[in-house]
Amino acid sequence: MPSVLSTLMLLSVLLPAVGNAREVRVEVRDPKGEPVADAVASLTPLDATPVVQPPAEPVSVVQEGEEFRPHVTAVVVGTRVTFPNRDAVQHHVFSVSRSKKFDLPLYRGEPREPVLFDQPGVVSLGCNIHDWMSAYIVVLATPHFARSGTDGAAVIGGIPPGRHRLEVWHPRARSALTREVIVAEVGAATQVIALTLGVDRRVRRAPESAGGGYK
Amino acid sequence: MKLPLRSFRGQLLLVFVPVLALAQLATWYLVGRFNEREARQQIDTSLQQAAQTFRRVVADRNAHLRTGARSAARDHQIRQLVAGDDPATLASALQSLRGTTDSSVVAILEPGGKVVASAGRGAPESALPTRLIALAEADESERPSAAGYGYFDGVLHSVVLVPVQAGSEVIAWLLIGFRIDREFAADLKLLTGSDLLFLGADGAALAGTLAVSAHAPLASVLQATRGHSALRQITIDGGASLAVFRPLLTGREPVATLALVYSLDEKLAPARLAGRYLAVVAVGALVAAAALALAFARGLARPVERLAAHTERISAGDYAARVPVDRADELGRLAGAMNAMSAGLAERDRVRDLLDKNVSPEVAARLMRGGAALGGEEREVTILFADLRGFTTLSERLDPPALLALLNRYLDRMSGAIEAHGGVIDKFIGDAIMALFGAPVAQGDAPARAIAAARAMESALAALNTELAAEDRPPLAIGVGINTARVVAGNIGSNRRLNYSVIGDGVNVAARLQALTRAAEHRTNIILSAATRAAAGRAAADARPLGTVTVKGRTEPVEIFAIDAPLSFHDHRTSPHTEPPFLSP
Repeated sequence: MPSVLSTLMLLSVLLPAVGNAREVRVEVRDPKGEPVADAVASLTPLDATPVVQPPAEPVSVVQEGEEFRPHVTAVVVGTRVTFPNRDAVQHHVFSVSRSKKFDLPLYRGEPREPVLFDQPGVVSLGCNIHDWMSAYIVVLATPHFARSGTDGAAVIGGIPPGRHRLEVWHPRARSALTREVIVAEVGAATQVIALTLGVDRRVRRAPESAGGGYK
Repeated sequence: MKLPLRSFRGQLLLVFVPVLALAQLATWYLVGRFNEREARQQIDTSLQQAAQTFRRVVADRNAHLRTGARSAARDHQIRQLVAGDDPATLASALQSLRGTTDSSVVAILEPGGKVVASAGRGAPESALPTRLIALAEADESERPSAAGYGYFDGVLHSVVLVPVQAGSEVIAWLLIGFRIDREFAADLKLLTGSDLLFLGADGAALAGTLAVSAHAPLASVLQATRGHSALRQITIDGGASLAVFRPLLTGREPVATLALVYSLDEKLAPARLAGRYLAVVAVGALVAAAALALAFARGLARPVERLAAHTERISAGDYAARVPVDRADELGRLAGAMNAMSAGLAERDRVRDLLDKNVSPEVAARLMRGGAALGGEEREVTILFADLRGFTTLSERLDPPALLALLNRYLDRMSGAIEAHGGVIDKFIGDAIMALFGAPVAQGDAPARAIAAARAMESALAALNTELAAEDRPPLAIGVGINTARVVAGNIGSNRRLNYSVIGDGVNVAARLQALTRAAEHRTNIILSAATRAAAGRAAADARPLGTVTVKGRTEPVEIFAIDAPLSFHDHRTSPHTEPPFLSP
């Protein structure tokens, strides 16, 4: 994601392990210390090939109130995602991202088929008729990942011990932040990640009263 | 025309014309300066406005292109072509976009700035994409974009950059722009009225409305004024022009310069034409003023010269000459006053002439001072009549020259005696003398003076007779009559000959009294009337009453008196030479 303003900073503190075994808590903050939501943190084992098991059922990214929900969805490679339309108006969901290009021309309700995301990478979703609608599907080749909540924390559990590559991605970060971490046999580690976010490029929704509205 | 500087005309010209010329010159100079300052100010204003107009025109066209570019950027097919792997199709789509947006260049850039596809004139200069992308990424507005200037194939363009997005992901940038060329410059000149020239960052002329000869001076002035936006004066083809420079920036990077030029000579041309007209009018006014001044001076000088000539005639004694009074102004009044003066002088001269003959110098001077009115008036006057007795016999005995010499000698002595006592010789009638006392100047003691004069006359005659005896000539004898009466006094005569005199019954009485001295029974040479005796007071105290006589021509009898003294006079009279000896007692 090109953005002059978006830089990525890392202020990492390895804290003494406390609590649950083999768990990494990643706290994502902006330079002011405010929590950053919708960041995707993932751990990829460096000394073993991770085994990914896509879920049997498709994951849903719904369109409701002319918005995608959720804004960011992280899945493993091979996951099928469906885009149910709960609005009265039709939507045209598409992606022109390199890892997955697809087009779901105007439809209502459930699209005919879920979309299979078989390549790792970030897929930017858009609606051809509603410019402000925006969503991301982060396709990962590792099962160890989590999305930060409003508290900015993404807790990744069940991690095999050993060296891992920690990767933190956010829609407004210029690129993914990576860091090597070692997960101990027992204990938990907290990674504090500071992200400088670029300008939110989501197109602002035109106010209904501004004219041209279809009622 | 001869113009002596000391003449009124010369002085008027000498003062009037330079002042007027100076005023005209000052006016001309001030108006010229004002015009030039005004022209500079106007040019400054219009150049500033032209610069603003340029910015506005560029902003409008940019806005137009931005709208078109945004519209295209959200086109699904374009988006798909941008994401796809078919630059040829993308390029042709961009070509279509170039047509619909009426732009010169359209290009799709990768997020990093690499040109994916383009339509129109060549590729942008290498620095342009990254510069614009940096600007657009710094734009935190809802709909980011960037605008600036850049070169495509060496040709200056105004360009706009908008993002191509998929959702919130910027997948590419769409660059669109229009050419800043001669046509654009010509349009702008139509809009602003100013000439303009676009210069490259290196100072090279790019496009404009000015002739090639203007490029070098503008470039050199630009070199000297870098960073200043103030008005600059430049010389193009020998003519003065004013110019302002405006940098064309992409972000903070100066890409080119706009020079706006307005010809000062052109702006000043109407003022200069007006100045030439003004000069012609000024010279005309000067000539007219000089002519008017001359005419005015002549109008003033001629009558003045005429009056001067007239004055000279007056001083030469010509009181009869008159100046024509043909104007109502001050000069007319002066001419009238001079005429009145001439008349006054003539009258005075006539009076003086008259008085000189008739009046003692003292009386004449008093009269002139007092401006005595010599018209007819009734007044009390004492009249003295003196006659040479036996003159007829004498005239027979003497030859005419001797007779006249004797007569004049006698009259001179008598006149002296009379004037010595304040009498005025009224006239000589042959050997007779008529004298007035109390006229024309009133004298309170006129009767006494007349009596004193009569006595003096007797004394004078006695002296004369002594002389005559020495010359072996017979003595003379006189008779004097004096009367005091109210008579009419004034100038009597014709226009050519005028005498101050008195007329009336009283005059005749005096003459008759004089005649009565011949009567031997009165034994006197001086006879007074009762009126004179009464008025003379003490001076007539020794008057001897002679009784009453009936005077010829008068019905009433008159009381008369004799003055006898001095007696020696009578002795003298009784000399053997006396003939006839009727006066002897």
